[in-house]
This record gives sequence, C-alpha cells and structure tokens, in this order.
Amino acid sequence: MLTLYRPGTSWFYRAPAGPKAFALLLVVLGVSLLPSTYSCAALAGGVTVLAYLVSGVGLVELGRQVVGVRWIIVITLAFQVLFVPMEPAIANTARVTAAIVIAALLVLTTRVADLLDALERGLRPFIRFGLDPARIALVLAVAITTVPVLTRLAVGVREAQRARGVRAGLVSFVIPFLVVSLKHADELGDALTARGVN
Amino acid sequence: MTAPIILNNVSVRLGESLALDDVSLRLDQQRIAVIGSNGSGKSTFARLLGGLVPPTTGSLSVHGVDPVTQSKELRRLVGVVFSNPDAQIIMPTVAEDAAFSLRGEKLPKAESAERVRIALEEFGLTDLADRAAHDLSGGQKQLLALCGAVIRRPQLMIADEPTAYLDARNSRLIANHLLAPNDRRLVLVTHDLTLAERCDVAVLFENGRLTGVGDPAEIAARYEASLQC
Repeated sequence: MLTLYRPGTSWFYRAPAGPKAFALLLVVLGVSLLPSTYSCAALAGGVTVLAYLVSGVGLVELGRQVVGVRWIIVITLAFQVLFVPMEPAIANTARVTAAIVIAALLVLTTRVADLLDALERGLRPFIRFGLDPARIALVLAVAITTVPVLTRLAVGVREAQRARGVRAGLVSFVIPFLVVSLKHADELGDALTARGVN
Repeated sequence: MTAPIILNNVSVRLGESLALDDVSLRLDQQRIAVIGSNGSGKSTFARLLGGLVPPTTGSLSVHGVDPVTQSKELRRLVGVVFSNPDAQIIMPTVAEDAAFSLRGEKLPKAESAERVRIALEEFGLTDLADRAAHDLSGGQKQLLALCGAVIRRPQLMIADEPTAYLDARNSRLIANHLLAPNDRRLVLVTHDLTLAERCDVAVLFENGRLTGVGDPAEIAARYEASLQC
C-alpha cells in the first residue's frame, strides 16, 4: 500500500512543502547517522514517536506506517543478523525503519500537488542546465499513480493465463505483461495530452 | 457562418491501414453521435478532432482551430474522455487528479480549489476527495475522468466509448452527465444506439469511410440493417 495524504489541520499540515521536506530530510539524516547501539535504536524510536506526536499525525497512523513496512523490517533484520552481531543488527533495522516512517510524514501531511509545486520551485535553478522541472515533477506523479495500475495489470495477466491453463513462468508472464503495460502507457500518454500536457 | 467541425478530404493512415478514407463533412449540431463497427474509424475520427492523431492528407478545423498547427489553442477548447478509466488517472487522490487539469492554467490557488470543489460536487465525488483515485470503482473513476475534463470548461467534449467498461447503472450515470443540457458541444463515440439516438445528429463510419450523416434514429436504423447476417 502506498503512503497517501491523510487530511489534517495541524500546523505541520499547513507548513509549506519545501521547508517541511528540508526539515524532515535533516531529521532523517540525523537518525541515519546515529551509532549502531541499543541506546541509539531507542533514540531513533523516540524521535519517530515525537515526530508523529508533534506533527499532529498521531500514534495510530505511526502504527499503520510501521505495519506497512513490516516486510522491510523483517528482511532488513534477517540479513543483518546473518552478517553482524545482534546489537548493530537491531540498531540498523531501527534506524532504517525510523528513516522510512519519518520520511512518510511528508507524503502523509502534504498533497502531491503541493509537493510537485515545491519540487518544481526547488529545481528551477537547474533550468539553465536544460532540466525541465515541470516534466520531472510530472514523471514522479505518474510514477506514483502507475504502481497500483501495474499491480492490477500483472494480476490480470496471471489470471488470464491461469484461466487458459498456462503454467507460471517468468517469460510467459513478462511478455504479455509488457504488452499490456505498453498499451497502458500509450493510453496514459493520450490522457496526458488531452489534459493539456505537451 | 462557419461550422464548428469541418473536415475536407481527410485521410488518416495508421501504419499500413487506412483508418479514415477521404472524409469530408461539416457539423454544427450540439450533440453528435459517432457510430460504426469495431475498426470502422470512429475512434480515429474522435482522436483526430482531439488533436491526438494528425491527418495524413486533407485539412480540418475544430471550432475555428487547426488541430495540427494550433495544438495549444485546441487543448484549451477540447476535453477528451476515453473508455478505459484506469488510463486516465494521473494523480494519486481524487481531488488532486481533478486539480491536475488546471495546472496549465496557472490559476490562483483559491480559484483552483474552488473550481475543484464545484466540479467534485457536480459529479458527486466530494466525499471521495481524499481517497486514492485507483481505489475507486470503475464508474467512479469514469466520473473522475469526466470531472477532470469538464473542470477545464471545454467548448467541445469528445467522449470515446465512455461507457464501454461500465455496468448499466454507471453507464446511465455517465451518459446523463454527458448529455445533460449545457453549452458544450459533444462528440460521443458509442456502440450504444440508444445513446446515439439521444443526440442531435449521428455520423456513421464503415471501413474508414463516412457512410451516413443525419437523423440519429435513421442512421442507427441503417446501421442496424447493415448488421443483419
């Protein structure tokens, strides 16, 4: 499930997207650079709880976000345990989880349109180097919305194959999936043009 | 007076096939139905008017604008709704997707928000404003697509089989929105002859050729007669 904007009215929601993104980036960086000790793992957890409380998003949403990344937690911890002692393994997993969940605050409290506007503004100095900020923002928006569509297309391809008795296999799946994905890309291109995107 | 839709000897070649073959017509009615079998050229006709495909030969004018040389002007005049609701969602949430259509207009934030509010209300999407657009039902997604087109206040709405993916209830809902009395011109590509008969004029295509223009009931009857095996 992708993190999506949750309506709210706290000061953090009203804060402009650019400075908010910068502030969260600093917090995420701070958490990421903590030493790999139990006390720092606890500190990362504390900062995360504090961030959700101060922002007004609340601990229920924090719980939802942690559940949402449960497989990342499991996989990160499993690999860490294989290669490093228990203390750094747990601390690293805690830092990664805290970084992801704190970063999610940005999307939870900011409409994508405002994020894109902030991104466009932030990238404006790079126009002189040939960068097109509006296009980059649009690509990001389309990428965010295309994930659930591709998932649905993949399920559709698999179901159609199962209905015809086709055995699961990488090649037999990838080719029809590519075909329907390209068709979707074509249709999406038309929709973008129709809505005024050149 | 010049007709709003004029085609002069227009042909469209897509790859090896001739999708439209030497079509000439003038249309000034408000609600125009486009009917014909699969592959007859009706979607190409709609895409041509919407500036999504250029003519290979011939010329056309849509509300006084040449879609080939004046594509920016055309975008301001025309809204397009396609059959597949999933392929028309650009932004993650319902309100953001509706607002996306206004990004090019550089409106003040308050005005943009007000237009989004009004449009969502018109299409019964207000309560879904913050929902993930891709979690909506097919009918709701198509309403959102229509909302995204109407919010730009186009003079011409092109709907290419907008009810093709929908159940009877949602088809009726979408059709009622499209055919509701308003100032917009409508070009409705459809296989549903009852919808075609609610329009002011019908255009019939067969194998890329224009084979009839006139009273929707007569044209629909002629089309049905041609289907008898």
